[in-house]
Amino acid sequence: MSSITVTPDPFTLVPYDTAEIRALLEEAAALAAIPPAVDIELVVDEELFAPLTGHMSDVVDGRVVLWISGANFEDNKRPCYFSAAQARLDLVVMALRANDRLSDDFADAPPDAELSRGERAAWDAYAVGRARRLGLDMRRPRQLYDFRLQHGFTDVADAAFERCWHAERVTWDGIREICKETGASDRAPSKVAVDLLRKK
Amino acid sequence: MKKMLPESELARDERFVRTKIEDRIFDPRGPKVALRNTGPAKMAVDRPAAAERSRSLMHGIFVGEIQALEGAGRTCYDFDDETAPFQLKLDMARQCWDESRHCEISVKLGDHMGTEIGEYTESTFLFAAACNPDPVFRLCGVNRALEGLAIDVFSSMKDFGNESGDPILEFCEDWMLADEVTHVKMGSDWLRRLTETDPDRRERALEFQRTVDAIFNLGGFRGEDDDNPIQLARDFRRLAGFSEDENDSLAALARESTEQVRQMAAAATAALDASAQGS
Repeated sequence: MSSITVTPDPFTLVPYDTAEIRALLEEAAALAAIPPAVDIELVVDEELFAPLTGHMSDVVDGRVVLWISGANFEDNKRPCYFSAAQARLDLVVMALRANDRLSDDFADAPPDAELSRGERAAWDAYAVGRARRLGLDMRRPRQLYDFRLQHGFTDVADAAFERCWHAERVTWDGIREICKETGASDRAPSKVAVDLLRKK
Repeated sequence: MKKMLPESELARDERFVRTKIEDRIFDPRGPKVALRNTGPAKMAVDRPAAAERSRSLMHGIFVGEIQALEGAGRTCYDFDDETAPFQLKLDMARQCWDESRHCEISVKLGDHMGTEIGEYTESTFLFAAACNPDPVFRLCGVNRALEGLAIDVFSSMKDFGNESGDPILEFCEDWMLADEVTHVKMGSDWLRRLTETDPDRRERALEFQRTVDAIFNLGGFRGEDDDNPIQLARDFRRLAGFSEDENDSLAALARESTEQVRQMAAAATAALDASAQGS
């Protein structure tokens, strides 16, 4: 039986409940079909508030290592308070991406901190599309805008988004191919680290 | 119909949730985040959480447009023709027309970005500036300070649309920006005309404008550095009738506000840390 740990325990800046988050993560891992023997660690950065959102899914020595901004769990209509509905959506997307990393399809993918923004946006579109098909209330226009910001507001980018959104299976090579197609891979490397929010 | 409507009585449907500015000011996470590097505040596609920050700002603009419409509408109705000449009310009626269009454009931009009406909270301190019982103060607070801020916001959003290659955002913001320049100009013209023989009233109205400007500089929201999400749009402000002195003084005020916030954050964090060590 795997272990699921959530940090911090307890939360001191916001009234989030570690046990509630752990239960939601367990549910998300099951939905994403993460093998039950895999250990999962989740770190929530409780200092960050909306709109400073972001999350990362990595696999380190066979363990799933997750990081998420506390802003992702924050109820937009009630600042500082936890939204279980919002948390459920993000945790499933994170778990789906972590499960991708456990498969051969994404064996060559670099850690999240080293992904380009275009690669990440394509992978997210693939994960969020699957989450929607799993019955979660994911919003397509939101994901499309995120994708367009990194791949361009063009017909080529929109067609690539459609493919990611509806795909049943994409590999790491497929993600890189999409970035070439839209021109995202030709963009100059960003001066701002993609994991900047994670750094204290 | 009631005159001088307080902000607490603004009509909203169940989608809207109101928040108080002090909720954010006293949020214990604020000082912690203020001391962290969360990337350039200036809008850009490669800053962290770029999409979510844009959506949140867009929703803030949308509720701001609703309040600007309500404010201009109240000025048409709250005063008799002696206190506020009929021509001034005609200008305010024209502004209502513009603001209604801006509301509709903002809703569509929200759809474009993947957000929904009421997804984020609404703060009504913009409308509060439109509650002043003196129409000249109202024009300074709303048409010069807040519509001036709108020039800065739309100019920053337009630049973001251009930088991200988003023609919809870029053009929509450009069209709204043109209206805002007119609104500021109306405020400047009426300020001059209504206080022609009363320099004391003019000075007090300008002081009220500076107070409103200072509130909206809060937290380094507006300025001329990368630390400021909203950039002071000097060229458009000049077109709207602001003098270079006024722009310089606003820029200085913005720098002062940004520095004050840095100092407050450092002090609050030290206090929190001391308290944590003591417990």
